[in-house]
Amino acid sequence: MATTEIQPASAAAPPAQGARRRWPRLAPYLFLAPAIVLFVLFLLLPIIYTVYLSLRRVQVSGLGLGPGARSEVWAGLDNYRDAVTDMELWRGALRVLLYGGILTPVMLGAALLFALLLDAQRVRARRFARISIFLPYAVPAVTATLMWGFLYLPAVSPFHYLLEELGLPQVDLLGRVSVFFSLANIAVWGGTGFNMIVIYTALRAIPAEIYESARIDGCSELRIALRIKIPMVMPALIMTTVFSVIATLQVFSEPTTLRPLTNSISSTWTPLMKIYRDAFARDDIYLAAATSVVIALITLVLSLGFLRLVQRRAFQDEQ
Amino acid sequence: MTTTTLPLTRQARTPSSDRPSRFLAGIGTAVLILGAVYCLLPVAWLLVASTKDGRELFNSFTFLPGTGLTENLRDLSSYRDGVYWRWVFNTVLYAGGGAFLSALVSAMAGYALAKFSFPGRQVIFNILLAGVLMPAVTLAIPQYLLLARVELTNTYWSVLLPSILSPYGIYLARIYTAAAVPDSVVEAARTDGASEFRIFLRVALPMMLPGVVTIFLFQFVAIWNNFLLPFIMISDDSRFPITVGLYTFLNQGADRPALYTLVITGALLSVLPLIALFLTLQRYWRVDLMAGAVKA
Amino acid sequence: MKSPLGMWRNQHRWSNTADAPRTPHRFFGKATTVAGKATATLAVAATLAAGCGGGDSDDDGPIELTYWAWAPELASVVEIWNESHPDVQVTVVEQAGGDDMVTRVLAASEAGEAPDLIQAEYQALPTLISNEVVADVSEYVGDISDEFGEGTWQQVTLGTDAVWGIPQDTGPMMLYYRIDLFEQFNLSVPTTWEEFAETARAVRAADPNRYLTTFSANDPGWFAGLAQQAGATWWEVEGDAWNVEIDDEATLRVAEYWGGLVAEDVIDDQPMYTPEWNTALNDGTLLAWVSAVWGPGVLEGVAGDTAGLWGMAPLPQWTPGENRTGSWGGSSTAVTTDSDHPEEAAEFAVWLNTDPEATTALVRESNIYPASRQAQASPALQEPPEFFSNQPDFYSLASEIADTAVGVTWGPNVNVTYSTYRDAFGAAITDGTPFTDAVHDMQEATVNDMRDNGFALAE
Repeated sequence: MATTEIQPASAAAPPAQGARRRWPRLAPYLFLAPAIVLFVLFLLLPIIYTVYLSLRRVQVSGLGLGPGARSEVWAGLDNYRDAVTDMELWRGALRVLLYGGILTPVMLGAALLFALLLDAQRVRARRFARISIFLPYAVPAVTATLMWGFLYLPAVSPFHYLLEELGLPQVDLLGRVSVFFSLANIAVWGGTGFNMIVIYTALRAIPAEIYESARIDGCSELRIALRIKIPMVMPALIMTTVFSVIATLQVFSEPTTLRPLTNSISSTWTPLMKIYRDAFARDDIYLAAATSVVIALITLVLSLGFLRLVQRRAFQDEQ
Repeated sequence: MTTTTLPLTRQARTPSSDRPSRFLAGIGTAVLILGAVYCLLPVAWLLVASTKDGRELFNSFTFLPGTGLTENLRDLSSYRDGVYWRWVFNTVLYAGGGAFLSALVSAMAGYALAKFSFPGRQVIFNILLAGVLMPAVTLAIPQYLLLARVELTNTYWSVLLPSILSPYGIYLARIYTAAAVPDSVVEAARTDGASEFRIFLRVALPMMLPGVVTIFLFQFVAIWNNFLLPFIMISDDSRFPITVGLYTFLNQGADRPALYTLVITGALLSVLPLIALFLTLQRYWRVDLMAGAVKA
Repeated sequence: MKSPLGMWRNQHRWSNTADAPRTPHRFFGKATTVAGKATATLAVAATLAAGCGGGDSDDDGPIELTYWAWAPELASVVEIWNESHPDVQVTVVEQAGGDDMVTRVLAASEAGEAPDLIQAEYQALPTLISNEVVADVSEYVGDISDEFGEGTWQQVTLGTDAVWGIPQDTGPMMLYYRIDLFEQFNLSVPTTWEEFAETARAVRAADPNRYLTTFSANDPGWFAGLAQQAGATWWEVEGDAWNVEIDDEATLRVAEYWGGLVAEDVIDDQPMYTPEWNTALNDGTLLAWVSAVWGPGVLEGVAGDTAGLWGMAPLPQWTPGENRTGSWGGSSTAVTTDSDHPEEAAEFAVWLNTDPEATTALVRESNIYPASRQAQASPALQEPPEFFSNQPDFYSLASEIADTAVGVTWGPNVNVTYSTYRDAFGAAITDGTPFTDAVHDMQEATVNDMRDNGFALAE
């Protein structure tokens, strides 16, 4: 090995060796320095500032039009009380849960199905399908929502045209209830491909021997898929679920872009939209800050809880 | 076109009598094709819609191609003296520069986390990861106000700097480095007398390259498609990225109509480079990192 | 009025980059070394940082003013000033319009970085005043109040002696209708709202696929203008306190009127400015549009094929023989408190909106309907807009209508009211609840917001 050859060389220069021994101690911190500095500057400080803002509010005197009529004052926990007691926030949270409840199983189910098919034998068009289904990942949420908006609005939608030609009754895709499905559809369209690739790669990593014995035993491909493949990619499935859930809780772009096209989406349809509205449309950064802290804490608790639950399951399979 | 390089490929072929029936395979193929069509449908719409000029867009059947493609392209290019192409340049700068710096920072952080053991390692790792929990919407205004104090708003840096830190990138970098860079090689280089930075640069980085490229591509797409951060930070439209620029086309105020043809053509032109990037670099997408990440 | 589509058929020469130098072609490439890239990054940064530091130059050179606006082609108008005023140079920075710009200006002002001049919509002025973003320029502008209509002038003075902005353009409301389709269905142009309702019912009876027009839950300014016409005063200053009455009798009457028509299904309920709405205007699904004087530009942009088929008439009235209208939109030029040269900035603002050369250019290049009385009679407005070539007296009629626009006092939190309008009316349409409830929601939200912030409210 290389070490035995080099030893004589290093023995000839002990002082340099001694000096260098200090570096390995500092080295990891130096490598981490850029990341840590950026974290402090752009995540930690803004978070601290957000918490600070959440404890303040604006105080106006009189008409509020003269100089010095406006000042920022201490608000204590008033903003938190306002944030938590605003029913619109919790209604938004429920809506997001419903939206997520539609979106997550459909998207991950489709991703799993496509991944299994990509991995199956004798199935054609695999490369074409893999590229096509992954393609929506390249399209930003705003553009995707605009495209689907055109496909949903009756006057410009080919689906309505088709239904009309076939004499079938019209479906309002942007109605009070159907808007959940329409929005979920946009997210499914955008996210299935990425998750499919993740699960597919996990599938490809399964060693072939496992299938060998199953096939020799006479198992059909379908049974192999159900009994062997799916359990073996369960860790990948769980991870995609976690990330998908976190992203779902923070949904913002799609409803915001779709809102001008329909009456069914309010400006507080999701919690994050409410934060945006408070901060930007109502110029109440203080309430927005408090609401953000509340949402972040809830997300943190849910994520930690889920991850703890998941880590046990994900690593159980390893044994 | 080659298939993706994967750590394990199945070599064995099964005997013909045990292959799935043609019927099932046929259904499987149909499902895949259906999925592909579903995913391609809106992109096809975008292509067709960009061929329609302002009048045809709201006057003809959705999938009937129009005649206005060259006119749309010309209008888009010349609108406000070609500000759209300025936006393209800006987006390339933000995404390319941001993704490059992000990959570098993530690689360094991942290398440190994977190859060294030092006090605080797990704590730092967990704290860095916790960054994903705070939504961007929340942080946008505080980030803006903080940058305003150092008078850096409305500059290219105001969009680049916050985009560099990627907790997910650091996570991937750590996983990949742990798997791809053997401790023995690092040790050997150390005893050779190389400085830590040289080891990172000359020894580890080349081994980490596929992972680093994946992080680069991932961040590139994320920054390319990012809207909220540049929207808050930039007020001068000569520094907008494409996402914010297209948004202003749609929101010109009540007394002006949304410039749908420009938005559609602009959106198409902004999606094409990413698609091209995917197609040409798909073999580098080491998404097995994600699966490997799960096992780690 | 030229449309946005027309704008680029009529190119102009300017470039609107404020201070960043044009950086060279991207020089990042994967082939270069790490150090090379780092150096390159720093070089770019240095160049950009140097170019981006503040707009004001030293005292020896000309005074540099920055102007945030969204009116199209404004820079070519500003060029005229720059050429004749070498000591005061103004640079236009184009923005996304309306509410977005207010948010951005507020944030910039808090950071002390607001530009010298901004384009401010009338309803945003009290908010900007309250946040000490715009400055009172009455000491610099002299007496120009008779340049503008009384209602317009009130919106920039709030009834006081202070002058918070110079009116730029106005949006008196009027009715646009399809002459050919009215003929086809034997309809006459309604002069009262009662006739309007009858016309709406007649349209539905004649063709169940068409509507006379739509009620938009997405355009609060539109509804505010209609309420103004009916006599609503949402905010009033009473001594030292605000009197807020959004759900006053006039507004409730307007809400009930439209709510009734929507419930009866004789008026459509889809939002405006959507692809759906664009198509409806194109193919005649909607026969009329309650809009403002800048309407032709929008119509040409979204329904260009229907040029020459539309007519313009005054808004229907609540009482026969009356002659009032409301305003939808309209903006002013305001000087900010961050400006180091308020006098020069005010001088420019006055020039931009009263000087005949400037206003003619504004009409021609930026497609606005000027607030200045003299500009309304200018030669630039002798010809009707291209889209309305069939109505030669378009602008003289518009000028008459503009004079009947009632004055408005805006409150300090119009953004809250408008944001609630969208949600409340959207919900009312979706849930089928009365529109008057939505108006009460607006009142409650506005008053609560003002009370929470500490504004003095008259009880």
